[in-house]
Formats: sequence, structure tokens, C-alpha cells
Amino acid sequence: MSNTSLNRRAFLGTTAAAVTAYAADMTGLNVLSQPALAAELKKKDKRVILLWLAGGASQLETFDPKPGRPTGGPYRAIQTAVPGVEISELMPKMATRMKQTAIIRSLNTKIADHGGGATMMHLGRRDEPSVRFPDLGAVVARELGSADSKVPDYVSFYTQTEGRGSGTAQTGGFLGARFAPMYLTDKSTPPYLSRVESITDIDHQQRAELRDLLSKRFARAHETQSVGSHNQAYARVRGLMSSEKLFDIEQEPQSIRDKYGPTQFAQQALVARRLIEAGTPFVKVSRAWWDSHGENFETHLELVTELDHVMSTLIDDLKDRGLLESTLIVTLSEFGRTPRINQGLGRDHFASAWSTSLTGCGVNGGSVYGKSDADGNTVADGEIGASRLFSTIYQAIGIDPYKEYHVGPRPVPLVDNHADPVYEVLV
Amino acid sequence: MAADPTKLKVAKDVGRTDVLFHLARQPGTSRVFVGSSDFKLYELDLQAEKPEAKEIGGHGSYVTSVALAGKTLVSGSYDCKLSWWDSENGKSIRSVDGHAKRIRMIVASPDGKLVASVADDMICKLWSVADGKLMRELKGHDAITPHNYPSMLYAAAFSRDGKQLATGDKTGKVCVWNVADGKQLGTLDASGVYTWDPTQRRHSIGGIRSLAFSPDGKRIVVGGMGKVGNIDHPDAPGRLEVFEWPSAKKLYDLQTEGKLKGMFEQLAFNADGSWLVGAGGGYAGFIAFVDVNNGKIIFQDSAPMHVHGLSLAESGDTIYASGHNKLVRWELNA
Repeated sequence: MSNTSLNRRAFLGTTAAAVTAYAADMTGLNVLSQPALAAELKKKDKRVILLWLAGGASQLETFDPKPGRPTGGPYRAIQTAVPGVEISELMPKMATRMKQTAIIRSLNTKIADHGGGATMMHLGRRDEPSVRFPDLGAVVARELGSADSKVPDYVSFYTQTEGRGSGTAQTGGFLGARFAPMYLTDKSTPPYLSRVESITDIDHQQRAELRDLLSKRFARAHETQSVGSHNQAYARVRGLMSSEKLFDIEQEPQSIRDKYGPTQFAQQALVARRLIEAGTPFVKVSRAWWDSHGENFETHLELVTELDHVMSTLIDDLKDRGLLESTLIVTLSEFGRTPRINQGLGRDHFASAWSTSLTGCGVNGGSVYGKSDADGNTVADGEIGASRLFSTIYQAIGIDPYKEYHVGPRPVPLVDNHADPVYEVLV
Repeated sequence: MAADPTKLKVAKDVGRTDVLFHLARQPGTSRVFVGSSDFKLYELDLQAEKPEAKEIGGHGSYVTSVALAGKTLVSGSYDCKLSWWDSENGKSIRSVDGHAKRIRMIVASPDGKLVASVADDMICKLWSVADGKLMRELKGHDAITPHNYPSMLYAAAFSRDGKQLATGDKTGKVCVWNVADGKQLGTLDASGVYTWDPTQRRHSIGGIRSLAFSPDGKRIVVGGMGKVGNIDHPDAPGRLEVFEWPSAKKLYDLQTEGKLKGMFEQLAFNADGSWLVGAGGGYAGFIAFVDVNNGKIIFQDSAPMHVHGLSLAESGDTIYASGHNKLVRWELNA
């Protein structure tokens, strides 16, 4: 049996069921209860690309270098395009693009195991056994997606196997399966999305038309919400099937493919851009595995070099297409890495003072928020946790971070404890 | 008394707070020069009752290598610079922008007239010790691995007659060069020291970390780490691959046993070539003695630290080593 979590039958079934459930949503989402606000949000077409650096990227080898300190490692800091802001020498391309990027150097998320850290950094809060919280992607899909969209609302790539099980269960949490990701684990192209060979496209269209005719006849006699949503579900499936080409980078000019380069991470970032451009609100591209307990500097030389290239190419591509202003790129891990360098020249898990970056939509480019101490052991200024980071992300893309969902009668704040955004990194 | 590897015993253990990446020794003495993670070079006498580190100078990043050519000390660093020092008085002679990327190792030719430097720009450069002039650039290693990531040029070694030079990269490729004219004489495939994980973690670990010619020049030994299951950790056995030269035929490989894990960071033959000492480590250190003629490990043991630098005394009965938070002097005839 394939280890992919998506097969066509399950996917179609889930989608149909989810859309049916959509109209009878028990969460009482207040965006839908305020159509004017919903329309305002959606017309802005905000999007998010999450570059998930699974395993824990080192802040010291990326956005918070400590050159010359005992904890600093061998890599130097380089000046960026923003006076006074330095990042690791492993990121020379990002250094020239820092005017589009904000850095937060003061995350203290306290959880330094992979599972717990990944869950927290997907949910923006600690998990609770009594509530199935949706992850960032599900929330964005819910808030910024369209019910009649012909493209998936939430696509998640995770093609390496290590750490794939960490984080959320890819269910959409209490928002329901409708907002679960299209989860790609085998390849960069969804399996089972293609029309089966034995049915021609004309056959498929004719079947759809017949189904539509019968449904409408049925609906005239039995007017209910669920019948309408059933038709929406089939329309959506048909749309999703036609989105197959979005995952095919062969559709891109060779010059664009060359810019991204040959690595799997780069090619998935290109697919992410194609999806964003087509209207997908949230794409997560996971790049595992950064867990450099040994040989940290060699591992980061490989992986940060790739990240630097992929991220800067993605920024340029979005900018060239006029999409950067409406697309937020987030780099995030489950935690950072210890300032202490162990005997294997590695760095271990560390959640007490680490960094993230936000680029593009709603971001005050070139800003730096927070500070770690001289050796990077603690947050010296501006400490924030996951909830404030998530509040900041929502604010950047126009989602009210103070809103509440309801799970049955229970009000559930979108952001834990109604945490405030970090306005310093936002426009 | 003849040196006996099975009698290995720590005679001096000097604690440090830094990592000492490389060690060079004044021949016939116990004076050693080390390059440090604190960006500096130090001199110590490992026969002294309480060895004290005398600072010689510094770089802009980790000092990854030091080589002694006569009385001239040459250091190389991740700051891409090569620096010349007078080993007698510690004075700076010159500093040059040696490479476009991080310098990994410097070795001095046996006659002390040349030093060879290898760096992540994948070039080996030969320099005149006397005046710092760049004599030759040797280009034979790919900048990108087969998996499209940056490669690294970690190691170099001169043959004992100084006529040949071997260089080794991350993917396990060795190039052997004719020093006189810079021509490539051949290559060796030691890819058993490189692990690429295509599925679980999708990056790599390992590479050639050490090289040595046998005294007669008929063997080339490549040091690194064996295939790693979980590349988060350098915990595969240390691995040696031994080649016949110049046929380039691989004779055999061997690996450390038991709990001795990590990379062979340094190799040195004794004077008559009857055995080779290798040392290195991962989360802990190891040292191993090998009869290269029959491929048997004579003796192996844990080391007090992950060893990065090593010098074998001319008599073969003393080993000076540097590494993670320590310097050690071993005696082999206790």
C-alpha cells in the first residue's frame, strides 16, 4: 500500500463529505457571519507560503549570527541591504533582499522536542487533549479560501520521511476535513488526481452534466442545503482535477526552472508559486531534515545554501509577478539549535532564543524585532512565544488575530490568549 | 625502546575551553602549534610540567590548519586567508587572501619549500613558503556534489619525497598530482566515506578528512567515516580505504570496531611504514593503529577527546594530539 495519505477515492470522498459538512459547520465561524468582512478579506487575495525547516534550523547559521563568540561557530556575519542588519555569510542572496524581510530573533517557545515543538509551531499554541486545534494552514485556508475554488486551499509538501509524523495530524482540526491539506509525501505531484485512462474527458464532462441535471431535478423536489453543497463538492472535485497541471513544473519556461534549480526543495517552491498564483491560499513546503546534532556546520553549509537560493528565487519570482505584496513567506522550524557546540561539532535542540523570518505581504521589510544575548543563550529583549508569532502572521495577511471561533458553545480564540501581533515587523 | 602501539598511554592531558583543529610540531621537539576555534593560534610545549599556551596571532574565523615549513609557520582559516608567521618569535610575516572560500587544510612539503592549501572553492593551491608567491593552482574536484549541493575539499597530503600530492573531497574523490608540473596523475574512488541520504533527511555527511602516502609511496590511505544510518549523528565507524599507487587499485577498507565512532581526522605513518596511526572521532574520540600491509588493526582505543590534530614523533614513540577541549601527549613505550 502506498504510504501517501491521499488517494483519489479517499480524497474525493473526503472533499464531498467535507463540503457537505461545510454548510452545516458547527464551529460558528464568525467570518461567515459577517459577509462584508469576509468579502473584504477575500478580495485582497492574500496568500502564505510556509517554508517549514523540519528538524530545527540553526538561528546562528541563518538569521542571528554571533561571530567571534565561543558559541558563534565558524561562519561570519555579513552586512545586508539594510544598514546595521547582519545575517550569516551562508545567506548572501538573502542579504541583498533583506528590504523585503523582517527577522524576529526572540522566540522562546520552551518546547525542545521534535513532536511537541512541531505541534506548537503548527498550531501557535500548546496542544490540548480536549480540542483539536486547526493548524496555521487550515486557518488560512478557512479564512482566505473560497468555497467554490477550483484549486486546493491548502497544499502541504513533505517528501522526506524524517519528522513527517511530527506536528499536526493534517486533519484541519475542529475546522474539519474540508480544510485539511492536500498532503504530498511521495512526489511533488498528487497521485490519483488524474482522470483515469478508461474515461475520456468528454465522458467525464458528460457524466458531470448528467449528474448536474439529475441533481437539479432532485433539488427542485427536495430543496435542502446539503443537496446544494453536494453539487458544490462535485464541482470542486472537477476543478481540482483540472488543477493537476499546477503541480507540473514542465509547464514553466526553462528559464524559470533554471532559476529555481534542480533540487527537490527548489522545485516544490516553484510549484508553491504556481499554486499561489492560481489562488491557493496556503502552501507549506517542508524541507527536512535540519537536526544537526553532529557536523552542524557541514549540514548547514548544505542546507542554508539551498535555503538562501530557494528563498531568494521565490522572492524574486513573486515580486516579478506582482505577487509579493499579497504573499507572505514564513520560515519556521519546531525550534532552533543550541549555542553550545558539542564534541561532534553539532548543535542540539534549543527553544529558548531562536529566530524566524517573515517576507512580503504586510511585512515591514528590513525590520528586526527582539534580541538574543551576546552568546545567544537567552532572549535579551522582546521575548515572544508562538502565539504572538501567529498573531503577527494573521495580522500580516489581514485576518483579525483577535477573533474567536466556537467549538460548540466554547469560544476558542484564534490566537491563544488573544496575544498581540508584533506590530514592529508589520506595515 | 621500540614503539609499541599496544602500550599506548596518556602521558599528558591539557584541558582547554576551545576546539583545537590542527596541530603542527617543531621536528625533534615537543613544541606544538595549534589552530583554535577562538580564531587564534597558540604555541605550547607538551613536555612542560604545566604547558602554557602562548598566543601567536589570529584570523577572522576558526583556524582550521597550521603547517610548519622549516621555521615558518603557515596558518589557514575559514576566513579564507593564509598567514605566514616566524615560528621562532611569533611575528607575522604576511597574510594573503588565499582562497575564495573556507580553507580546510594546509600541508607543508617535506623539504619545507612549499605549502599546499585546500578549500571549499575546490582548488588546491601551492605556495612558496619563502615569499608567499602562489606557484600553482590544481583543479580537479567538482564544486557541486552529484546531488546538487556544495562540495568541500577537506584534505591534502604530500608523498614523503614531496613529488606527489593527494587531495580529497567530500564525495570521496581523490586526485593525485605531480607537484613539479601540476599535472593530474590519477584519481581514486573512496566514496565509501560519503553518505547521501535521499529519503529520510535528504542531505549528506562525511567526506575524506585525512590522507597519507606510505613512506615508499606505494600506498595511499584515505580516512573518513563509514556509511551512516542516521546522518544527524557522526556515529558510524571510522573508515580507512587503502589503495595501491600508482595503479589506483583499491586494496581493502577497514573500519574501527565497537564503540569507536566518527571520522579519521588525521593519519600518520611511522618511519618504516610498518604501521599507521589514525585518530579522530564523533561525539567522542578514538585512536587506531593499523598494519597497512595486511589491513589488520593492531590496536585501537578511545581517545580523551575528538581528535582533530596529530603529530607522530620521529622516533614513533610519542603522539601529540589536539582536539575538542584538550591537548594530549601519548607515549607508546610505557
